[in-house]
Amino acid sequence: MIILALDALDLNQVKKFNCKNLMQKEYGQTDLSNFNQERTIVLWASFLTGKNMEKEIPLKTQWEFQVPIEQTFLKFFKTHEVIDLPAFSYKQKNHAEERKLLKAYFEDKATVEEYDEVIWRNHRENKKDFLNAVGKFDVVIGYFNLADAIGHLSFGITEKMAEVYRELDEVAGEVKDLDSFVLVISDHGMKAVGRYGDHSRNGFYSLNKGLGLDFPKITSFYDLIRRIVENEYA
Amino acid sequence: MENHLRELEKKSIAIIREAKAQFKNLAVLWSTGKDSTAALWLCKKAFFGKIPFPVIHIDTSYKFPEMYAFRDNIAKEWGFNLIIAKNERALKEGLSPEKGRLKCCTELKTEALKNLIKERKFDALILAIRRDEHGIRAKERYYSPRDENFRWNYKDQPAELWDLYVKPSEDYSHMRVHPILHWTELDVWRYVKEEGLPVNPLYFAKDGKRYRSLGCMPCTVPIPSTAKTIDEIIKEIETSKIPERAGRAQDKEKAYMMQKLRSLGYM
Repeated sequence: MIILALDALDLNQVKKFNCKNLMQKEYGQTDLSNFNQERTIVLWASFLTGKNMEKEIPLKTQWEFQVPIEQTFLKFFKTHEVIDLPAFSYKQKNHAEERKLLKAYFEDKATVEEYDEVIWRNHRENKKDFLNAVGKFDVVIGYFNLADAIGHLSFGITEKMAEVYRELDEVAGEVKDLDSFVLVISDHGMKAVGRYGDHSRNGFYSLNKGLGLDFPKITSFYDLIRRIVENEYA
Repeated sequence: MENHLRELEKKSIAIIREAKAQFKNLAVLWSTGKDSTAALWLCKKAFFGKIPFPVIHIDTSYKFPEMYAFRDNIAKEWGFNLIIAKNERALKEGLSPEKGRLKCCTELKTEALKNLIKERKFDALILAIRRDEHGIRAKERYYSPRDENFRWNYKDQPAELWDLYVKPSEDYSHMRVHPILHWTELDVWRYVKEEGLPVNPLYFAKDGKRYRSLGCMPCTVPIPSTAKTIDEIIKEIETSKIPERAGRAQDKEKAYMMQKLRSLGYM
């Protein structure tokens, strides 16, 4: 199984930029209505565990939060590789640098270009790790925060977002022909605040098999993955 | 006057007169910057030298001394009814940009204006915003209805065809009227020159810097410039690739975004 965990991938943007690889056989919006806030760590932890983790993850220490493997759907697989997923194998150093630059931008101490450069550099690192892992494990999760990180400072700049979505569509294109179940999922969507981008409830999912999911909750994928591993959808 | 400026002025004056005819209790906002001073001049011209409604200045108490001096001189010279609005409660509590720029802006500008509207029951306000200032302002209409919390639904605005500005019959608290919405920064400066309007000295270069947009002192920085006359300013803007509000350290969007990212734990 391959899971592309794409932070802030937004259904409307996927359609707008006509990302054919991301829009697999079945695609649509995820239901985030049982969450008070669209917090990245909370949503990924909830995706992994199948439970709403909002109350269990305090805001102040959220980036350090890690879910034990026994609580995640990963326990259903013999082997796994999870690249950079928040609440599991988050690359702390990379993301701390990103957040530092984000803060510096708001304090007028760094430019958008400096920030973007680091985001793209980290993205390329994850892409390399992800493509290296594909085919070597029962499940590979590749996490990419490009749409979220670039979007926060530049969601209103169409050319930039087109480049981001083109890149993410290309990553999806790399795995689309493999003989494996492919799930593309985002934690939340994004909406414009002038040139900036704020989290929205317009999350995205797509599957390379038509399972007829209807507005699925992000927590419902835990059970779906379990059933796929147990060959219910074979 | 060159034809282009004459056309701009004609349209603006028509909008101002239309607003005066349509609303019971109109006022004009004046920051003392170039745009609102030009709008004030248009109000004066529209009614043959005397502005027939109050002029509101929102005083955050953090403006430049030159802005206060300019305000008092013009008010005296042009002889209009000036209302100075302050959020005294927030100022007494010691609110300042250090306590959060968004909060400071909201309390000292928005709340001060909200209170004044409530107290004086204004049903329409003339504002000197322009479409070319900012992306979101490009979506504005000449008549822009607001609710009691100053919210504006840009996705639900009536068309303004054939220069017909119609106020909605209900569902709004007050109307924003934007008579110079169609002007550009260059148009304003050319008009200032043409009409010989007074200019705040902060706009002219001193020691290699000048203010291109005026706001509160702690949140506004000058841009590098050698333009010491209106002609030089016009020449500078004609070739400049720097946005007009680049010197405004924190616009509302940026401040909002910073606050939002904080609440999500990013900072």
